[in-house]
Amino acid sequence: MKKINFAWTNYLYLLPAVLLVAVFFVTSIVYTIRLSFYEYDGFSTMRFVGLENYLYLFRDANFKISLMNTVIWVVFSLLFTLALPLLLAILITNSSWVGGFKNIFYYPTALSSTIGGIIMVAILSKYGIPQLFGLLGFESLVRDWLAIPYVNTFIMILMGTWQGVGLNTILFITGLATIPDSPIEAAKIEGARTIQLYNKVILPLLKPTTVVVLLMSLVNSFKVFDSIWVMTKGGPYRTSETLALTMYQESFIHGKFGVGAAVAVVLTVIILIVSYFNIRNTFGDTDQTA
Amino acid sequence: MKQASHGRIVVNAVLIILSILWIFPAVFAVFGTLKKKQEYNLSNFWDLPHGISLAENLKGIAGTFGIVKGMLNSLLYATVSAGAAVIIATLAAYAISHLKIKRPMVWFLFIYSGTIFPFQIFLIPVYKGLTATNLYDTQLGMILFYTAICVPFCMFVLRNYYLGISKEICESAKIDGCNSFQILGHIFVPMSTAPLAVVFLTQFNWVWNELMFGLTFTKSREIRPVMAAITLMDKANVPVILLACVAASIPTLLLFFLLNKHFEAGHAYQSK
Repeated sequence: MKKINFAWTNYLYLLPAVLLVAVFFVTSIVYTIRLSFYEYDGFSTMRFVGLENYLYLFRDANFKISLMNTVIWVVFSLLFTLALPLLLAILITNSSWVGGFKNIFYYPTALSSTIGGIIMVAILSKYGIPQLFGLLGFESLVRDWLAIPYVNTFIMILMGTWQGVGLNTILFITGLATIPDSPIEAAKIEGARTIQLYNKVILPLLKPTTVVVLLMSLVNSFKVFDSIWVMTKGGPYRTSETLALTMYQESFIHGKFGVGAAVAVVLTVIILIVSYFNIRNTFGDTDQTA
Repeated sequence: MKQASHGRIVVNAVLIILSILWIFPAVFAVFGTLKKKQEYNLSNFWDLPHGISLAENLKGIAGTFGIVKGMLNSLLYATVSAGAAVIIATLAAYAISHLKIKRPMVWFLFIYSGTIFPFQIFLIPVYKGLTATNLYDTQLGMILFYTAICVPFCMFVLRNYYLGISKEICESAKIDGCNSFQILGHIFVPMSTAPLAVVFLTQFNWVWNELMFGLTFTKSREIRPVMAAITLMDKANVPVILLACVAASIPTLLLFFLLNKHFEAGHAYQSK
């Protein structure tokens, strides 16, 4: 009996998955890292340039803007997709129409960010919302808001909030539902007001969910591509790019594949650092529950 | 008691106001699809559509932009890739959690690593690789890549689930004369229909909504998935673009509203 257990055929079950991961991902990662040390336009032969691509990024004004935008995206989308869902989850749990409100805030998450972005383009173009401001006498606001450098980044973050809040709200609602009644009852008996109840009892008990949402949102905000691509393509003059966009621009628009690869490596290093905490958290949790 | 009901009224009022904000884009999109191009460009956006130009706009999306073809392509990619990924991931998750193999944790981490890296690091090499193997701009190439990218997450969820199934069930099945494949087919798969459905749905949804790879790995209308096709539409005719958006959202919205519970379960997996 034991002999069958150790059969080499057991590895056949792993084969397709391992093959796909090895072919598509492992070789890709190695290739991209290698490419980041080369100059390559997609046609002619690759030329080894050492750290030149990284030094180029270091000197490039566009890259600095892109890095700054990435930080802005991370900080603000984290703020909005953590604070707002927490507030919404608390409100919805105490409302008279839990299921309905849940769906209303969730539906944008079921849409693709491409479609969310395109609808926002229409709403924010001069045929949409800006018309309202014209009506109120602010003629200077009747323009395409997504074409205004730096303002457009914040508008896109708000759009990302519209789309991303639902998922985190549901996670928080699930988290709130798992909090046991007894500490809440005890606090109420001791005369805790609602705000104290949340500050001292409920929020601390909600910490595991908060950490999960925080780390997930953090990783996701570094990866945003689709919505920026459809709303501004990183423009005007590359002022609304983030690292994910810059990688695409340098490689597939400007034909500097080596530089694009270097951006991809920078982005990967950042995400791996964040993911380290994410994974440690994930497996820490599994150990506790097991 | 009175205090509490006042509180509830405030809570409901705040939520209703926010809900209107959240629904507005969908209402805007749906009304936009009913307008004519000229009407959209000349009238105010809050004006109701004059006549319903849906039929004319439908002709618009059926035509040159390949939105219908794109939806059929995406349906193919999402169904086949998510399906294949679930099957491949089931086999791997079963081996890692219940079969005797050396270093199961290393195999697990190897496959799981596919979920950690940002997609940008795969973009150039896979593009080059597909070109080199003549799979660039083919349906087979798209299916293979989407399958690969769905496998790690499916494996992760299913392995967690399978770890919870007791070894004793397998032992007794073995004594009854089942081989390991029969145990998988007769015990594990029937026991895990719910998580299998969840991972299939989340991956279907993901492939359907995916843009960046669809844009980079295709060039012809016959192969392009729907999201990439939408971004390449004529920007001047907003009602037709909006109609394409509404049409392309129907499958994922339907899945969401019909299988609400599964999606919530999916989030529970995602957060664990």
